[in-house]
Amino acid sequence: MTDTHKTIVVTGVGVVSPYGIGLDCLQAGMLSGKSCLQRTKDDVYPGFEGTTAQIRGLGPLAGGSNSQHSRTDQLAVMATQDAMVSSGLDSSAFRDSGIVMASTLGGLTEIDAGIAKDPAAWYRRPAGLLRAASYPFAHVADAVGDHFRIQGPRCAVSVACASGAMAIALAANMLLDGAAPIFLAGGSDPLCPFTLSGFNSLQALDPNPCSPFDQNRKGVNLGEGSAVLVLETLAGAIARNADVLAVLRGWAMTNDAFHSTAPQNQGEGLADCICLSMEMAEVRRDDIGYVNAHGTGTPLNDSAEANAYETAFRGRNRPIPVSSTKSYLGHCLGAAGAIEAAITIMAVRSGTLLPTLRLSDPIESPGVDWLRGEVKRQPLPLAMSASSGFGGSNTVLVFGSARS
Amino acid sequence: MNSPSVPITGIGSVSPYGPLAGLIQQGPLEPTDVTAWTSAGQRRAFLVPPFRPATVVPGLKTRRLDRLSAWALVASSLALQDAGIDLNLVDRSRVAVFFATAFGCVELTEAFYLSAAANGWNGTDPITFPETLASAPASHVSMFHGLRGPNITVSNKYFGGESAILQATCLLRQGQADLAIVLAGDALSRSLYSWYEEAGLLSPACYNSHPVSESGGFIPGEGVAAVVLEPSARINVRPNARSYARIGAGRWAAGGQPVNIIRQMLAASVPNLTICGGNGVPCATSPTATLAREIVGDGVAITEPHAFATGLAGSGALFHLILGVSSRRVSGAALFLSTARNNGFAVLLLELP
Repeated sequence: MTDTHKTIVVTGVGVVSPYGIGLDCLQAGMLSGKSCLQRTKDDVYPGFEGTTAQIRGLGPLAGGSNSQHSRTDQLAVMATQDAMVSSGLDSSAFRDSGIVMASTLGGLTEIDAGIAKDPAAWYRRPAGLLRAASYPFAHVADAVGDHFRIQGPRCAVSVACASGAMAIALAANMLLDGAAPIFLAGGSDPLCPFTLSGFNSLQALDPNPCSPFDQNRKGVNLGEGSAVLVLETLAGAIARNADVLAVLRGWAMTNDAFHSTAPQNQGEGLADCICLSMEMAEVRRDDIGYVNAHGTGTPLNDSAEANAYETAFRGRNRPIPVSSTKSYLGHCLGAAGAIEAAITIMAVRSGTLLPTLRLSDPIESPGVDWLRGEVKRQPLPLAMSASSGFGGSNTVLVFGSARS
Repeated sequence: MNSPSVPITGIGSVSPYGPLAGLIQQGPLEPTDVTAWTSAGQRRAFLVPPFRPATVVPGLKTRRLDRLSAWALVASSLALQDAGIDLNLVDRSRVAVFFATAFGCVELTEAFYLSAAANGWNGTDPITFPETLASAPASHVSMFHGLRGPNITVSNKYFGGESAILQATCLLRQGQADLAIVLAGDALSRSLYSWYEEAGLLSPACYNSHPVSESGGFIPGEGVAAVVLEPSARINVRPNARSYARIGAGRWAAGGQPVNIIRQMLAASVPNLTICGGNGVPCATSPTATLAREIVGDGVAITEPHAFATGLAGSGALFHLILGVSSRRVSGAALFLSTARNNGFAVLLLELP
């Protein structure tokens, strides 16, 4: 018997991606097989040459001042607006809701290297103080909360590339604890010289469109975007006769406790995380129909991740279907886990398993069915989204069909 | 959020008092001169005195880390030591780390920007980059102690520490961890101090050596506090375990009616003590203390916000809590209360032994 007060459901999904605004837009773009990764020269900073996934022509925010908002804030507010529309609720219905927003960058997009040489002079530039005020990553949660006049608990999360997924997990925990009736949870990160330069210095970027899980993978491409989920208990959703898009059946968070940038090579932390999430969801490893992988395209991440799937799904009747949608959108850092949660929900709802693009010679991993080539269509009652990040953080979310 | 209560069994800190295990029982602090960067005229703040982390925690290597990461490592080690926990006897996959910070590793972020200014964006330092992440301190805590449970870095403009404590207790109550180390703090840098200054937020006491005048602004502070949280069932079977306080219900919000909400939470319970938190506001005119009197009346002991913890924007809660518990030896129900300028508030119901 389902305890409707202990069951967390998704009743709205908002996405801003290089495909445009909305989950339908994302779905149409991805199902068409279009990759948003493009060659970039001098675009993000002078001298940068590589491949990124950019959002072009981002319009101004409706009903708000852009001067107080970083690009991170702007993406988050737009995704939240889209999530609210998707939930069928007016923004006033979210007054007492909680907000958990993830970002690794905060307002770094608004700051340039000159700030470190003479901060006082930099702040005296036009809007200097205001731009710098968006620097703390908490600002993204405040931007969303203030824009929509939301009064519930606010929190920002920053755990590198697992941030977006972790925001969803933390919101689910707080819903179970009764902290607020509804939570808006997700992540937002834009392209920015700071991170492109950082990943470039680590020699982690593939100059060409990335090929996650390929034997010849060269690295990651960065992207930008935001996704926000509307989460509530099933009891709350039933009470307002809401359309349930998916059920968040399980979630788990672990840490590798291994290295600042490299994952533990056997993927032990991620494997533990996968097992814990299935335990919470009360499902068996054979029940999971698809994994939306972290799949960055870096040599270290992808081999550790393949090992994690081998370990966590050992004993399945058939290999676990896995793909990386970073091959379409690049790596959106703090937003990645939230965007990939939205893609996993999309997969569950439409019964479509997206392939990894440009995957011609997959890592040898007998327990894994590396999805490539055509989109697969099949009923998908349960799917999983896996995220990992610098510092060893892992988060796994298990989504189930609303019909189940 | 709902009970049962979760005891605080260990405390560690790195603050202007230096690195300390347990309660902070030293006297009031005076700000000291900023010498880490040059400025025209005197600048003062509540600064952590320089120390070598390896002299406090043998074997600790912090040379390439932001001071915030180094302090998190020291504070977490001192808190575990104070709790009497031998990690060799603990399932480390069941230990969570929560870290609250307003600004993250701001010193190395500045250093990264300086390398970009000097060498261009194509000439930045790969070793510095990962250490600029706000989550780096918590990651180092997990790596150093081998903790494989959830590792979470959170922030809130006003209530980062409270949010971390409440989310950690939530994680423990839901059985997602057996033990949690909760840390909160920030390090002061030139760009941060300059921002406060240009925004006109600083107290006149930042610019002269007269005693702290608390009107008209605040004095920036720095440090990291850590507490160990363990479910009651665990400490009942652990010899020599002590409880500094038990954390019961709690809540934080960006708006609403705090008086009604907190009275409802208190129900019939009458706190013996109210510990006031707060940040970035002058302590002498603390709106938190005013709210506390409105809720509990004048007869109940109230500890005003501490000037040092007030200087830690958004991450001072653990220091307010530790200093409050350290300064008043009363037992029974207590209220930990913080407010923000825009009506936001955070509250924790405590039980003091």
